[in-house]
Amino acid sequence: MKPTSDGTTAAESTYVPELHVRNVTVRFGGLAALTDVSFTVKPGTIHALIGPNGAGKSTCFNVVSGLYPVDEGDVRFGPSDLMSTAPHQRVSLGIGRAFQNTALSGHVTVLDNVMLGRHALTRGGFLLAGLRSPRMRKEQQLHLDRVVEICEFLGLGDHLQRPVGQLSYGDQKRVDVARALATEPKLLMLDEPAAGMNDAETSVMAQLISDIRSSLGISVLLVEHDMSLVMSIADHVTVLDFGRGIADGTPSQIRTSPEVIRAYLGGGEGPAVLQEELS
Amino acid sequence: MALALPLYVSEVWLRVFEYAMVGAVAAIGLTLLSGHCGQLSLGTPFFMLVGGTAYAALAADAEAGSDLVGIGLPPVIAIVGAVVVSSLAGLAFAPVAGRVSGIYLAVATLSLVFLGLYLGQRFTEFTGGAATGRPAPPFTIFGFSLTTREPELTVLGVPFGAQERMWYLFLILVIGGIFLALGAVRSRPGRSWRAVRDNPASAAAMGVNVARARATAFAVSAGYAGLAGVMMVLWFGLLKADENEFQGSWSIAAAISLLAIVIIGGLGSVWGAVLGAAFVFGLPLALRLLVPSVPLLASITEGSGGFTPSVITAFAYGSLIVLVVIFEPGGLAAIGRRITARFGR
Repeated sequence: MKPTSDGTTAAESTYVPELHVRNVTVRFGGLAALTDVSFTVKPGTIHALIGPNGAGKSTCFNVVSGLYPVDEGDVRFGPSDLMSTAPHQRVSLGIGRAFQNTALSGHVTVLDNVMLGRHALTRGGFLLAGLRSPRMRKEQQLHLDRVVEICEFLGLGDHLQRPVGQLSYGDQKRVDVARALATEPKLLMLDEPAAGMNDAETSVMAQLISDIRSSLGISVLLVEHDMSLVMSIADHVTVLDFGRGIADGTPSQIRTSPEVIRAYLGGGEGPAVLQEELS
Repeated sequence: MALALPLYVSEVWLRVFEYAMVGAVAAIGLTLLSGHCGQLSLGTPFFMLVGGTAYAALAADAEAGSDLVGIGLPPVIAIVGAVVVSSLAGLAFAPVAGRVSGIYLAVATLSLVFLGLYLGQRFTEFTGGAATGRPAPPFTIFGFSLTTREPELTVLGVPFGAQERMWYLFLILVIGGIFLALGAVRSRPGRSWRAVRDNPASAAAMGVNVARARATAFAVSAGYAGLAGVMMVLWFGLLKADENEFQGSWSIAAAISLLAIVIIGGLGSVWGAVLGAAFVFGLPLALRLLVPSVPLLASITEGSGGFTPSVITAFAYGSLIVLVVIFEPGGLAAIGRRITARFGR
């Protein structure tokens, strides 16, 4: 798949900003879900967030996409301060995300679900749509073509007109990714893209993610439990534990970090088991 | 067929269809709001009252010695004005609607019916009050009245009186309402409403301004209700505030009937709303006309223990709702899809 070049996106440039998460703290009541977390997603890299259950990975995601407010610290995407940007406006800056439990409309077709990703790139409200404004219809057709291209890239070409609810779980995950891609993101955020998938589906997804990065040149921020997936495709890994960042580096650095080994195995245990999981 | 109907059908039957069309327009708005945007509303009659009142006040001529408000605008502009006013009323309620959802929103919107009851009786200079009401300004276009028999007109030997003309006016309004709704539902606004209904967080992540999408749906729905209110006033030839909250054109009973329409028709289906309205709004009037000529109906309705046509309809649509919810939650629309799927192949 090629980056869009048909004039459907406002931001034509291939410039991919850096995502800076700096000293972010998030509290729910008295509970600190994230404490002083910092990391940077470099342009064009696949960056993985890993950590045991409850480490704050999804919280971190929701901070970047704007679903949770930040108590301290700040998040910047290139020149833009995300703290002063409403969640629905972050899409226009180039942040597109997929959800852990796919957040699709089950009765609605694949095409229509993915078309939602074009919302911020298109215009027209009730009256224009109701009156079938020719300009709006033309625009829709243009975007529909791009959406079909994205779906085909993700191997969904045969399912375009099927209701999402009828697809397999793996296919639904891909529809969710397609929808995030349809926003033409500069930063694609994937929350456990391989969760609930078997080994074959996982390796397809891994291939897909690195294809997306290499063909579009965008950054990917990834939360994932599947270590083999993370270690095989990530350029950079940030490890969270109990809401704190405990390690940050390349996969090979992470594999040997004593902090990470302790977090995953709770101290005493030998590193051999971890080596197995992390490799 | 619909165009030629007034040539064959008597006035009393035309009135039945016209009343069903009033329900259809209001129900289309409700099915957009509840079916597509996922906001349950019982406030439709309030917006109907707002629309009907706005039309009466905008279109009526100011008369000396009368305390009724009359702006004297051309009726076409008054209808547009009435739709705009009721949409704005819907927009004004949107901040409330943005904060609550589900059954809480239903209760919050129900309070609008009480507000309408109070306002209707309090501001008699607009509504004419509950006792006498005020006459509906006739709908004329270029001097030709579509709601009275002036000037006289005969088509193919059939005198075109008030009902025949109103039939065409209502037909145009209903078809316009269906056309707009289908266009919106099948493209960008409909998509954003459904996204908000299914998952507000993911809708926002896709760039949908959730609060704005909800507010728009409310305004659109209120606009439809306002138009239905205008039609109701034209149909009765009278605008009258309700005497109590339980019965009347703007009452709780009306709110529940409208909800019944969209559920029977299939939540979210525009055509379903039209069919449901034919059933829920049309049936009581149709039964009343059928009673004298159908012996079975006459025997049920006779005597002190007899059922009135409205009671029979209430039973009919009550049981139909139960059947729909149990056997076909998609309503008449889903049944229709099944039939076309079977015969379409």
